[in-house]
Amino acid sequence: MLKRIIDLRVALTLAVTILYCANDFAANNWNVPVDKKTKNSYIKFDAASASQGEAIYNKNCASCHGNPGKGNSLKSLSPVPPDLSSAKTQELTDGELFYILSTGRMIMPSFKNVLSEDERWRVISFIRSSNKSYVQTLSKFDPNKSKLVKINLNFDPATHNIRILAIANEKSGVVALKDAEVALFAIRYFGRLQIGKSTKTDKDGMANFKFSKDLPGDKAGIVELVAKVNDENYGEIESVTKMKVGIPTDKPALNKDRAIWNVLAKAPIWIIVLYSFGVLVFVLVLLYLLNNLRKLKKTGDN
Amino acid sequence: MSEKEKKPRKKSRREFLQDLGIVGVGTLIGGSAIFAGINYDKRKKQAERVKVLTAENELLEIEKSDTTKVIKSKLENLTYLQKEGRDGIAGRRFVMVIDLSKCRNARKCMAACNNAHHLRPEQHHINVLKMQESHDTPAYYMPKPCQHCDNPPCVAVCPVDATFKRQDGIVLIDNERCIGCRFCIAACPYSARIFNWAEPIKSVEDEDLTYNVELNVPQRKGTVSKCLFSADRVREGKLPYCVSACPNGVYYFGDENEDTVTNGTTKETVRFKKLLEDNGGYTLMPELGTHPRVYYLPPKGKDYPFQDKDKPEAAEHLGNS
Repeated sequence: MLKRIIDLRVALTLAVTILYCANDFAANNWNVPVDKKTKNSYIKFDAASASQGEAIYNKNCASCHGNPGKGNSLKSLSPVPPDLSSAKTQELTDGELFYILSTGRMIMPSFKNVLSEDERWRVISFIRSSNKSYVQTLSKFDPNKSKLVKINLNFDPATHNIRILAIANEKSGVVALKDAEVALFAIRYFGRLQIGKSTKTDKDGMANFKFSKDLPGDKAGIVELVAKVNDENYGEIESVTKMKVGIPTDKPALNKDRAIWNVLAKAPIWIIVLYSFGVLVFVLVLLYLLNNLRKLKKTGDN
Repeated sequence: MSEKEKKPRKKSRREFLQDLGIVGVGTLIGGSAIFAGINYDKRKKQAERVKVLTAENELLEIEKSDTTKVIKSKLENLTYLQKEGRDGIAGRRFVMVIDLSKCRNARKCMAACNNAHHLRPEQHHINVLKMQESHDTPAYYMPKPCQHCDNPPCVAVCPVDATFKRQDGIVLIDNERCIGCRFCIAACPYSARIFNWAEPIKSVEDEDLTYNVELNVPQRKGTVSKCLFSADRVREGKLPYCVSACPNGVYYFGDENEDTVTNGTTKETVRFKKLLEDNGGYTLMPELGTHPRVYYLPPKGKDYPFQDKDKPEAAEHLGNS
C-alpha cells in the first residue's frame, strides 16, 4: 500500500515536472518549421550590411530590445525582450532569426509587411556583427533572378476584384509563378495598408484580391498599389501600380470657414464692415451729443 | 598648245583626285571627331543639368554651371520656416488614436518628446496621467497630448495671431510672435499648454539655431509652448516622436482623408474609422464642441495592472468620501 502511494507520488512529481518543463519549453519555443530553420541569407554579412541593419534596428527594434550588449531592453514588458547579443539568441540559426523577425509572436510584432526581405537580412547582419565566433553560410540564391519576374495588376470594376498575374520571362519562355505568396497593399502617408490577406498564386500564376469599395484615393480616386510576390525560386518582388480604385477625396482645408477670427487678416468682410459701421455710428452719436452739450453751454452763457 | 593645254589638265585631274581623296578622308575623320565631340558635350551637358524650384513653385531645368548658391540670411530662413509652418501640408487631416488598453506607463513617449523639443524634465507636451473617474471605477494610465481641436478655443483668444490652425488640422504656436499673455493657457480645456517660466534647458546650445515653428526649438523664455503633433517629422512622412518611441503599441497616427492610421510600434497600418468602430473610440470632453483630432480607445482588456504605487495619485481628486 505504502509502496503504491510512493509510486503515485513519484509519478505525480514526475508529471508536474514534465508539465512545468513543457510549459517552460513552450514559452521559449518559436516552433520554427524545419524548412525555415535552414534558410540562409543571400546578402553577405559585412560591415556595410551591418551598419545599414543598425539604422533599421534603431528605428524598429531598439525601443523594446534595447541596444545589443547594453542590457537596456524594456523590463516592464512580459516576457522581457531578450538582449539580441545574448548567447541564447546567437545560438539560433539565421533561418530561425529570420522566421522570428518575419512572423512575430505574442508581444513581438510581425515585420513581414513592414520590412522587405532584404532589410530583414540586414537587421540579422547587425545582430550577428557583435558575435565574433559566428561564421555565415551564404545562400546560393541569386537575387538577380527576381529581375526576370513581371507582375501585372488588373482591376475588374464589376466585381471590384484585383487580379494579380506573376510571370517570369525565362530564356526558355514565359513561366508562371506557381504557389508563390502574394500580398497586396495600398500606399498611405505613413505606411502600407494591406488589402485582404496574403494568398498563394494558382497554377497560372494568378491571385485574386477583393478590393473594398470605400477606400479613399486622391482627388481623382487614384490609389497607389503595391503587389508583393515571394517565390522560392525568384525571391521577393515588388511592383507599384497606380490605379483608379478609390473614392475621389478632396476635403476642404481645416482652417477655412471656421470661427477663428481673432485677427483682422482672418476676419470675413461682413464682420469688418459691420464692425466699422458700428464704430462710425458710435462716434457720430458721441459727436452729436458733444455738439448738443456745446449748444447748451452756449445758450447758458448767453 | 594642245599638248600644253592637255598637260596641266591631266595633272590637275590627278591632283584633283588626290585632293579629293585627302579632303574626303579628312572630312570623314574631322566630321566623326566633331560628331563625337558634340555627342560628348551633349552627354556632359545632360549630366550637369539640374532641376531648380523657383520661388513661384515652378520646376525648371538649367545647366549646373549657371547656378549660384544663394546664402540665405538667418532672417530669410526664419521667414521661410514660418511661412512653411503656417501653410501646413495640403490635402491632409492628421489624426491620432491612443489605445488606453495597451498603455503600461513606460513613459518613453514623454522622454522622446522632451528630448526633441528641448523641454525641461518637469515640462510636458505629452503627459501620461493616472486617471480614476470615481471610487468604484478602476484606475488607468492615459497619455494626453494637445488635442489639436478643429474648433480650438486657444486660437480664438490669441490677440496676436501667434497660435494658429493649419489646413492639415495641426494647431501650432509661433514663439516669435507670442507675447506671453497666456490667454491660450486659460482657454484650453485640456491643459495642453505650458509656459516657459524659466530659461529653457538648452538655451546656450540653441543660441545659433534658426527658430523652427514646426519644432518650437529653440524654446524661448516668457512664451507658451505645446504639443506640435511633431509637424517637422510629419512633413517628412515620418511618425511623430512619441508615436515611434512607444514600445507598447499605444499610438496610431495617420491621415483622416486616407482613412488609415499606422501604429508606431508594430508599424501596422489599419483603417481609421473601423478601428474606432470596433473598439468604441471616443474623444475627450465632446460636450465642449472643440472637435479634438485625438481619439481614445477605452482601457478594456488590459494585461498590465494599474500599479499600487500610482493609486493614491489617481484617486487624489476623489477625496475621502
